[in-house]
Amino acid sequence: MSENVTRRNVLKNLAGIVGGILALPAARTCQAAVRNVFATAQAPKGYDPFKHKWLMALDVDRCIGCGFCVEACKAENSVPQDNFRTWIERYVVTRPKPGSGESRGDTFVDSPDGGIGGFKPSLIPKEDVLKSFFVPKLCNQCENSPCSQVCPVGATFESPDGVVLVDKNYCIGCGFCIQACPYGCRFLNPETHTADKCTLCYHRITRGLRPACVEICPSQARIFGDLKNPIADDPLQRFIENNKTQGLKAHLGTKPRVRYANLDEEVR
Amino acid sequence: MKRFLSMPPQITRLVLLTIAIICAYFTARYLLTPQSFGQYGHYRGAALQEIAGREPFWAGRKTCDTCHGEIVQKLAKAEHKGLSCETCHGPAKAHVDNPEVKLPKPGYGQCVRCHEASPSRPAWIHQVTPAKHYTGQVCTECHVPHQPNEVP
Amino acid sequence: MNADLLTNAVDLIPQVQGYAYPNERTLHPLWSVLIVVYPYVTGLVAGAFIMASLVRVLNVKALEPIYRLALLTALAFMLCATLPLLFHLGHPERCYEIMMTPHFTSPMAMFGFVYAWYLMAVLLLELWFDYRRDFVDWSRTESGLRGLIYRAFTLGVTDLSEPALRLDARMGRIISVVGIPSAFLLHGYVGFIFGSIKANPWWGNVLMPIIFILSAVVSGMALCVFAYLFLCWTRRVTADMRCLDLMTSFLFYALVIDATIEGLDWLHRLYSAEEGIEVLRSLASGKLFYTLLLGQAMMGTLVPLLLLGSLQLARKWVSDLNRRRVYFGCSALILLGVLAMRWNVVIGGQLFSKSMRGFMSYKMEFAGHEGWWLSLALLALPFIILTVLIKYFLALDLPTIENVVPGAVRRPHSSQAAEGRAG
Repeated sequence: MSENVTRRNVLKNLAGIVGGILALPAARTCQAAVRNVFATAQAPKGYDPFKHKWLMALDVDRCIGCGFCVEACKAENSVPQDNFRTWIERYVVTRPKPGSGESRGDTFVDSPDGGIGGFKPSLIPKEDVLKSFFVPKLCNQCENSPCSQVCPVGATFESPDGVVLVDKNYCIGCGFCIQACPYGCRFLNPETHTADKCTLCYHRITRGLRPACVEICPSQARIFGDLKNPIADDPLQRFIENNKTQGLKAHLGTKPRVRYANLDEEVR
Repeated sequence: MKRFLSMPPQITRLVLLTIAIICAYFTARYLLTPQSFGQYGHYRGAALQEIAGREPFWAGRKTCDTCHGEIVQKLAKAEHKGLSCETCHGPAKAHVDNPEVKLPKPGYGQCVRCHEASPSRPAWIHQVTPAKHYTGQVCTECHVPHQPNEVP
Repeated sequence: MNADLLTNAVDLIPQVQGYAYPNERTLHPLWSVLIVVYPYVTGLVAGAFIMASLVRVLNVKALEPIYRLALLTALAFMLCATLPLLFHLGHPERCYEIMMTPHFTSPMAMFGFVYAWYLMAVLLLELWFDYRRDFVDWSRTESGLRGLIYRAFTLGVTDLSEPALRLDARMGRIISVVGIPSAFLLHGYVGFIFGSIKANPWWGNVLMPIIFILSAVVSGMALCVFAYLFLCWTRRVTADMRCLDLMTSFLFYALVIDATIEGLDWLHRLYSAEEGIEVLRSLASGKLFYTLLLGQAMMGTLVPLLLLGSLQLARKWVSDLNRRRVYFGCSALILLGVLAMRWNVVIGGQLFSKSMRGFMSYKMEFAGHEGWWLSLALLALPFIILTVLIKYFLALDLPTIENVVPGAVRRPHSSQAAEGRAG
């Protein structure tokens, strides 16, 4: 008896499957609708991401802390008021107490409003300052990026041309990538409710323009170039040749691609 | 088939249920995965074009060069050679689209942002303490921004 | 003095002491109370399941009265486990993407599959095989909506013959055996979500998944004790003391292991003085003092350890009523202690800047997306579901000693399993 029941049910299930196949055209329409949601703006024609490899480098000794780059980035990318795709940090290392036997005193770091409007004079008197410098920060475009590693849906990724990007039409806004970034470069955009970060101004570099911060930087503290297509007397190549460079927080194994020259040990 | 049907009824039922769930999963996956997903890697390939599709905000020095080549060349000879026009003059997109739109004149604020003395600034940049250096607000009285070495 | 001046100046930025990256200066942590609730609820699932498996896999007969209760508890909490995550998303409507285009290197995406596996292939199956006979019985006796529900749950299989029931029992046991590693996997993965974040010295730790599993087992067992005592109290029946004593001694040993590993974790961190240890140390003595040292270590671990431990030795001299009181109090303390542990991990891990130069503070909100009310509601929801489940699926056999004897006849798995082994 039980076998009869089973057989009837097998047939029922088979009928269901056949019905499912018949419903496929309707399903296709539904699929097309889903896909339409994702088909929006067009890219500049003729750009092949496989033929470029972009890189930014920063010369700490060139940065004067004017903050123009932060403002340029905000304007270029409509970055929300409280968030930053790039920012400038001011480091103030004080003199050690006389006779303390230390090589340096305390280190104070600040970045009021990310550096927008420049920096007000530090409250530490000049004579107490052992050394002080500005460090521009931005996404390090890691080769082994922890953010794209942890993204559950593939909404953030390393593009073939070396930029870590966020697909804001696909991001679910879980915030895992923001937690995973050791550099504090990511934020949850309060308007789109998705993760947001520096794109190296992807919409500019694919059009042959420089990123906004590089364009506006008055002191060439930011150097930008294409490793696959060096131009004549390429500033990036020259920078790599002439400086001892390093990446930030190398011990975490993220392989940051953005290079820094003249970095102090206090910077992290 | 015969063997399958001779399985105990509860197992048969569960196997069918499992198959149905797996089929539903793969159907859903087929329908709900965006078309360009996996084109370059585990992401929507179309996202690259979408991100690249934004309009730039800053026009860039190259754009200025098309009309104001003479000034750009002059600038290239002096200490401000690395500067982009828009660093001091502000966003020029509106002006590029319609030359009738004039850009605001840069002034004291722009000069001081870079040249005010600060212990954090590297030594190579010329720094002044504005209060001691000059009490007025018009730096161009003594300096020519496009040729800082010159005196007007 | 000058240093004070600067610290004060930096302090002008609300809620930040010292330096934090500009993007870290948010009003509340990115992952707030909701994400505290998520590992807590998931842990209770895993722990309750382990408790139930003791009956099946290790054949601990004395624990039979709570077998079904433990499984139903696991189910009630399992159904709610992903809700806090879902509510926390910036785009909850896109949550299907986790299943459609899962990124295999992401612990969160894999959690979706582990969750699905555990819910469908372990918990529901085990419950189904255990309840199949009852579903058939009840669908014949009950009418109306109830009868309809029971009938649907039989999946149309009404075969109650001897071999069929023996198969049910055998399948239940197999699923239990598969279920234990699955339960570990489920909560180990939750621990790995935090443990995999190397950017955060508080989270990025090999021991994190293990600590999560152990605290999950402890909290789940405590929940079973708590729910059992509570259920007996509401139904005005006497609890089975043999079962309770055994449950709490399992709970005690689990707590010993958990406390040891967590202590080891701290010892290792302090001794090896890894990056950021200064930050962690000042967190423990400052912002997290109440939840970490007082809540988690003292009230959630030491006090129950001492009470349960002394009861292990002095059980004979303590009356049943007093033992029940101690068990009830201890299980409640452990439940709160594990909640404090989740808080310390999730919130504590976001109270310091990844620059290791400053601290953020947590501003509590009551209403809203990341508020307390939603979290409390999500924490209460599994208890409501559990009440409904108990009403529908545990009403007909009360988990007391008096009912176990007829229950053994009603429920085939114990006698059948014994027969199966004999035959």
